[in-house]
Amino acid sequence: MSIIEARGLTKSFVQAVKEPGLKGALKHLVTPRNITKVAVHPLDLSIETGETVAYVGPNGAGKSTTIKMLSGILKPSGGSISVNGINPYKKRMENAARIGAVFGQRTQLWWDIPIVESFSLLKDIYQIPDPVYRNNLEQFIELLGMNEFIHLSARKLSLGQRMRADLAAALLHNPPIVYLDEPTIGLDVSVKQKIREFIKKINHEQQTTVMLTTHDLGDIEDLCRRLIIIDHGRIIYDGSLSEVKSRFARSRIIFFQVGSPMPELFAELNRTPGIRFTLQNDQEFSVAFDRYEYTASDVVSRVMRHGEVIDFRMEDANIEQVIKAVYDGNLDLNQQAQ
Amino acid sequence: MRVSQMFYLYRRLYVQQLKAILEYNKDFYILMCSAALTQVLGFVFLWVIYDRIPDINGWQFWEVTFMYAMIFVTEGIGSLFFEGTWRMSRLVNLGEMDRYLLRPVPVVLQVFCTGIGINGLGNLLIGGVIIGQSLVHGNVHWTPGKILIILLLLITAVIIRVAINLAANSAAFWIKNAGNAFPLMVHNLADLAKYPLSLFPQAVRVFVSTVLPYAFISFYPATYIFGKSGWSGWWMLAPVAALGSMAAAYGIFRFGLSRYESTGN
Amino acid sequence: MSAISLKKYRSIANRSLQNVLAYRTSYVIGFLANTVNLLAIYFLWQGIYSGRSDVAGYSWDQMKTYLLVTFLANSVLSWYSETSISGKILDGSVAMDLLKPLDFQSARFSETLGASLLEGGMSAVLLTLFASFLSGITLPHSPLVYVLFILSLICAILVKFGVVYLAALLCFWSTGSLGIVWTRIAVTNLLSGALVPLAFFPDWLERLALWLPFQSIIHTPTMIFLQQAGTAESLNLIALQAFWGLVLWFAGKAMWNWAVRQVTIHGG
Repeated sequence: MSIIEARGLTKSFVQAVKEPGLKGALKHLVTPRNITKVAVHPLDLSIETGETVAYVGPNGAGKSTTIKMLSGILKPSGGSISVNGINPYKKRMENAARIGAVFGQRTQLWWDIPIVESFSLLKDIYQIPDPVYRNNLEQFIELLGMNEFIHLSARKLSLGQRMRADLAAALLHNPPIVYLDEPTIGLDVSVKQKIREFIKKINHEQQTTVMLTTHDLGDIEDLCRRLIIIDHGRIIYDGSLSEVKSRFARSRIIFFQVGSPMPELFAELNRTPGIRFTLQNDQEFSVAFDRYEYTASDVVSRVMRHGEVIDFRMEDANIEQVIKAVYDGNLDLNQQAQ
Repeated sequence: MRVSQMFYLYRRLYVQQLKAILEYNKDFYILMCSAALTQVLGFVFLWVIYDRIPDINGWQFWEVTFMYAMIFVTEGIGSLFFEGTWRMSRLVNLGEMDRYLLRPVPVVLQVFCTGIGINGLGNLLIGGVIIGQSLVHGNVHWTPGKILIILLLLITAVIIRVAINLAANSAAFWIKNAGNAFPLMVHNLADLAKYPLSLFPQAVRVFVSTVLPYAFISFYPATYIFGKSGWSGWWMLAPVAALGSMAAAYGIFRFGLSRYESTGN
Repeated sequence: MSAISLKKYRSIANRSLQNVLAYRTSYVIGFLANTVNLLAIYFLWQGIYSGRSDVAGYSWDQMKTYLLVTFLANSVLSWYSETSISGKILDGSVAMDLLKPLDFQSARFSETLGASLLEGGMSAVLLTLFASFLSGITLPHSPLVYVLFILSLICAILVKFGVVYLAALLCFWSTGSLGIVWTRIAVTNLLSGALVPLAFFPDWLERLALWLPFQSIIHTPTMIFLQQAGTAESLNLIALQAFWGLVLWFAGKAMWNWAVRQVTIHGG
């Protein structure tokens, strides 16, 4: 059985329909009218031990609701879940002991007490054995660079510091599963990098299963091999990241730096269909092409026929474009996959 | 989770909370004094009345002050050790309950240590003095057994008070964004138990003995301690009331928690 | 004050009224809570009067009326207005008010009046209901008494506002309002006669209470309503209320100026 397994998992919320004003409030009191809003339509999910899964979708798509059901916070309206072999809602405490979670916008730390004391409280809460705790603490402080702020209280930390402390707090007890909801939201590049490295290391060394929701496509490309896209409470894609890219991200760009200007090449490329050419300056330009029509070596050898190439680098199309297309409703993954 | 482990965790969380309060909320002695003052003035109120009349419905001054102080003392213990129940509407409406649900610790325990009402210390202090004075000046026949029973009644009184607070504050799961209004109303109903039950109509007596058993905090213990005829024996139901309200409160809380919807997307 | 600036404050009062309506759930529940207190106190007094026709010069019928009038006078300017003033100071939104072309004190008083209108109205309805179930409420017959009573009630709001406002300004020096509000309520309740008529007090305490402004809030309106004061004396009492109202108003102004200076210095 997979480490996370959901069958027909669904969640709906009942919302009261109130007309405005005092009259509406009174009317609601006598004859309450409610509508049921489905946040998550029946969905199936199975995630294996050690996987890193990106769970993405636009705001309000049902990402957080799913994560909250998997972590035992919300009671599902229907379907079944098994996480680490147990039902996370029915056996909340047992489940909680074996998962870690970071909810980006909300800290799990105690606001008024020093981080290091928060950690020591967590040690007692999760009943972490002494050697494990000491070892993890030492390692995490080092990896996440927490030395400078470990003695400050959470309220005094910057967002980046707090997020690092939260991440450490979520992993102190070596949970086999960790849910990360927007772990890099609002952070600068260097902190993002630290956090990603840390997650990679934990995943690699401890086989920790990582489920990540994010709007940051860098996170996804850097950390995840599997991508699940949810929209309007339904999963619209579940597969490998590279497959999405190879299927739907067809464009590839090569940046060149050359020894001397190449006017003939420029003219030639501009006439070729399927190739887009952009000049940065006389000796630097980029060539974008459809990777199914041309190979990279095609393009490079063509350029080299016209003169000396000093340097070049290649960039694959960003997953961002794919997901954006799906969000905008311009791309239906399932249809094209067939 | 073992009970000893729970006590240990409660203490750890509580001490951390206390440290935070001492550091950030410099206001606590104002709160403490104002709570004490409120109580003293309530005492003055009774004193002014008894200065004019010898008894109310056969109840002497020190007997009524005992009841009055019991309501305040249990409230004080509630503020001091279980203040977190009053933060429930915030925890629910701002989705802060998420954090508690993610930890392998009973949620109710975490709710209890969400805050500390230092004002409880003022209640405890003044209330303790008044109870002490009431027992000294009131006509009490002391036996070792009686002391034991009084201690037991004190414990059941605290349990009842905290249970009612927990149950009333669980309303936050149903009434959204109403602040503390509903639990405050329930809390105010304890006023009915500050004075002898015999003053009230039958409906009120039944209400504060069953639905909200405040009378087992103050009135029934008073009938036992001061040997009031006509009510003898009723105090023995105090442990039943305590266990009943505890079970009911926990049930209501759990049921509310199952309706918890968190916030956000 | 010119007509235009009056209009400004009227719109503040209006907004405050709508605010109370917006928080009606909490408001209604809070109101019910007060009613419970009234019931508890009512039965206590009934017990006190059982077998006695007169305590400290009040008959049971007079005492019933006293309790209802006290409830009415206490229900205007409720918790809501009180905490909204200190709340502004504590959460720092007072800084925004300093930027507006409004006098802080007048603006808060307008808000209070707006909310009081609703609160007073609701209490009046409830009291009418309550009174219709009770026998022996002594209502005055002369319309003049009602005019005087309403006048004195308005002055009582002014005095109560003065006390509340001064207490709220103390929040400039504290980190929370609860303790201050509790103390304010405890002291006001005792010394205004809200708990027990001042006539019940021992001599020295009664004399002390009469020298303080608090008695204007409850003691004076009840005296007028119960016709314990004649017309001339009533007018004197109302003048005294107005005097206290003005003294507190200017004290509030002085304290505000001082507090704002202090805060500006703190803020650098």
